Amino acid sequence: MTQVNRTAASETVQAVPDANPNHRVPCVHCGLPTVVSPDEDPQSVFCCNGCRGAYQLIQGWGLADFYALRDQLGNSETTSVSAKRRGFESFDSDPFLGRSAPRPTSEGTLVTNLALHGLHCGACAWLIENAAAQTPGWIVGRVRMSDHTIRIVFDPKVIRLSEIARLLDGIGYELAPLTKDADEQFWRQNRKLLMQIAIAGFCATNAMWIAIALYAGEASGVAAGHRSFLRLIGTGLGMASVVGPGRTFFRGALASMRTWTPHMDLPIALGLSVGTLMGAINAVTGAGAVYFDSLAVLVFLLLIGRWIQFRQQHRAAKAVDLLLRITPRHAKRVLPDETEETVLVDVLAIDDIVRVAAGDNIPVDGEIVTGETTIDRSLLTGESRPVSANIGAEVLSGTVNLSRPIDVRVQALGTQSRIGKVMQSVEEATTEKTPIVQLADRIGGVFVMTVTVLAFATFVGWWRSGWAVAAENATALLIVACPCALALATPLAIAVALGRSARRKILVRDGASFQHLAGRGTIWFDKTGTLTEGRPRVVDSFGDADAIRHAAAIEQACCHPLADGIIREANRRQLHLPADAVLDGVAVGGILGHSEGHRVDVGNLLLMQRHDVWIDPPFRDAAERFAAAGLSPILIAVEKVAVTVLAMADPILPDAKPTIAELTETGWRVGILSGDNREIVDRVASELGISSELARGDLSPEQKLSVIQERSDQPDPVVMIGDGANDAAALAAADVGIAVRGGAEVSLQAAPIYIASGKLASIADLFRGARSTRRLIYATFAVSLAYNLFAVILAIAGLISPLVAAVLMPISSVTVLTITMAWPTFRSEYR
Amino acid sequence: MSVIYIALPIAILLGGAAMVACVLCIRSGQYDDMETPSVRILIEDRKQKDSQPSQSPDCESET
Repeated sequence: MTQVNRTAASETVQAVPDANPNHRVPCVHCGLPTVVSPDEDPQSVFCCNGCRGAYQLIQGWGLADFYALRDQLGNSETTSVSAKRRGFESFDSDPFLGRSAPRPTSEGTLVTNLALHGLHCGACAWLIENAAAQTPGWIVGRVRMSDHTIRIVFDPKVIRLSEIARLLDGIGYELAPLTKDADEQFWRQNRKLLMQIAIAGFCATNAMWIAIALYAGEASGVAAGHRSFLRLIGTGLGMASVVGPGRTFFRGALASMRTWTPHMDLPIALGLSVGTLMGAINAVTGAGAVYFDSLAVLVFLLLIGRWIQFRQQHRAAKAVDLLLRITPRHAKRVLPDETEETVLVDVLAIDDIVRVAAGDNIPVDGEIVTGETTIDRSLLTGESRPVSANIGAEVLSGTVNLSRPIDVRVQALGTQSRIGKVMQSVEEATTEKTPIVQLADRIGGVFVMTVTVLAFATFVGWWRSGWAVAAENATALLIVACPCALALATPLAIAVALGRSARRKILVRDGASFQHLAGRGTIWFDKTGTLTEGRPRVVDSFGDADAIRHAAAIEQACCHPLADGIIREANRRQLHLPADAVLDGVAVGGILGHSEGHRVDVGNLLLMQRHDVWIDPPFRDAAERFAAAGLSPILIAVEKVAVTVLAMADPILPDAKPTIAELTETGWRVGILSGDNREIVDRVASELGISSELARGDLSPEQKLSVIQERSDQPDPVVMIGDGANDAAALAAADVGIAVRGGAEVSLQAAPIYIASGKLASIADLFRGARSTRRLIYATFAVSLAYNLFAVILAIAGLISPLVAAVLMPISSVTVLTITMAWPTFRSEYR
Repeated sequence: MSVIYIALPIAILLGGAAMVACVLCIRSGQYDDMETPSVRILIEDRKQKDSQPSQSPDCESET
């Protein structure tokens, strides 16, 4: 950035009043770096009016502690404030709310459960719950972070639900009715597993202290009556554990036997049943070892592992619930008498007519029957430039209607729409097991065969020493070889990695990504917004600065990043914007409009040529000079004569260079895929030390996709790092997609990993963590296999009794647990 | 008759009662959200305005 300034600033004709464009201060509300003049109070810096509004609202409630609490909880990022102010009246109609329709309570209040979007951390819950306490009539607001819902109790005589929705929207949280398919299934399953864990935990702990009493008795002598009493009670507890919560494993083993697919449950069930049988026989006969404490602890630990795995899978499933998040759930149906009614998308039928207001998401696939407009199709194509659509044109759900209201005839709905089909394929892909879990299952299959054969061989081998000895040694082998450590290792390691990465604001949807990231391959970076700030700034100008105010005034109606940059430049120069500016049209490469009675064109050289704008040679030279320096020249023409040339550039993020250097060092090929101009991409690449053959500019989203797919055939993983919303297709096509921008919810749909910290350094951190996790999994595999091998050899040799085996067995689980917890994944110095 | 024959079943019964309580809590949904409550205890209570009903905000009863 500074280099750019140095090379180009010398030619500046119009000096900027306070000439340090690098002075940046984080926005008080959202933390976005904002350019301000140095004399401004850093406590009153806002990046936009939305943030200012949210800040004032929070201060007005006397809830300024929110900011302190937020920083304290280690989450520096707040939700983005939604710019558009929608009508919330629909929140007062029951058909709109569907399942969330308020129910009356005995005290005359109404209660409802709603989905809440935009939650980040505990501070958000605190803010909302306190907002409820400060608002008359809003009696209870209980936030549930785990599934992002809120329970609202309110007094309909004092406040309406729509007012609550507007309040929450004001501080950046969006209320939405619950969907039809709430994950009842998941919660029932979750509770069932937790109850099993509770029962197994009870059995395990009690069996354990009884076992301690018995061991103490063995050491110091115990009355025979007491001994057999303790043994019977302990065996009862162990059997309760196996028969109760342990049933799951027998069910799994039966299913795996029926389908002839090897599964971890099989050796576990085998070990459990042999242990239970022998233990029970020994307890009744009063001779030999009883295994109840090992069995109960085993069931307890395995259930915990299973629960961790279950929650992880659910997170993956929840993340692909995209359809509901990005396509609107409501539509305005146009009735034959031309009136509109707001209905749930589910009740629409093919050939219904739906009205879509400007700025709204299109809820269905269909054909335009009235109106013409421009459409933002970035969700499907990654193309951020709007395309125009007329009567008869096909529109797709999930895209955004930008300029004028249209009526659409429904052709496909929900899962039948194009976005619906894409999402289904993503969903199917995520239900596949991670390769490392498959590895564990495969090992489990080989394992169970080997162990069974060995146990049989041991039994036969010791037959000559008598039936009892043979049976004892075979049992010892079966118990000591129980692969519970093996079954625990992978889910534990991945769960720990997921948890620790989340604390570093790296959200990982599925553990398989760690596998890919631990290897070596190719990484493609998107440029705009990933390696650069994504907010172009005016770094140089040539000509009349006064024209900037006309341009800025007209651009206010436009939401392009370049427009934003021009408006910020006008603010920085403290120019007074004309109030009568009108935006007349948006074309490819620029806009035109009127301001103070003058016709004003703003755009690139091509647009100026198309609009027959007269460009004096000095202006043309300036534009070419800017272009050669890798900056984007934007011309402003008043009455079709060019009067100003602005040089726009998107500054490279400060941590881009060290991150890329580290990735290259660890053996990854790093490249850039960008839709931006070749020269600009080359400049960024050379500044970051990326070889020019891997820096590809001028790519359409389809070309980006094909670059990624052609590489996907090779065994080396391809990683795409980009913007969650605009590069969705490329992110989904890569082996691992890492989204660095765009809301967490939308990004996690397309990409398995979302960097919530917004820092590029987190990417290097993630790769280090992935390598560490893979090493951990292999280490725990090695430890538990080595342990089993060693113990099996001892058992075959008849050197360990079943009692020793029962003591040894949990030790391997504990070893795996200890190694996993102590492993330095995501523990490096970086913060 | 040793005391252990009485003490041990009582101990197991007491533990069992705790387990049943835990299972009932899980069944009623208290363990569905493992994130918010851990943060909520860190939050100081503010004085409720007098206009607020006396109902505690922790009242979770489904009516």
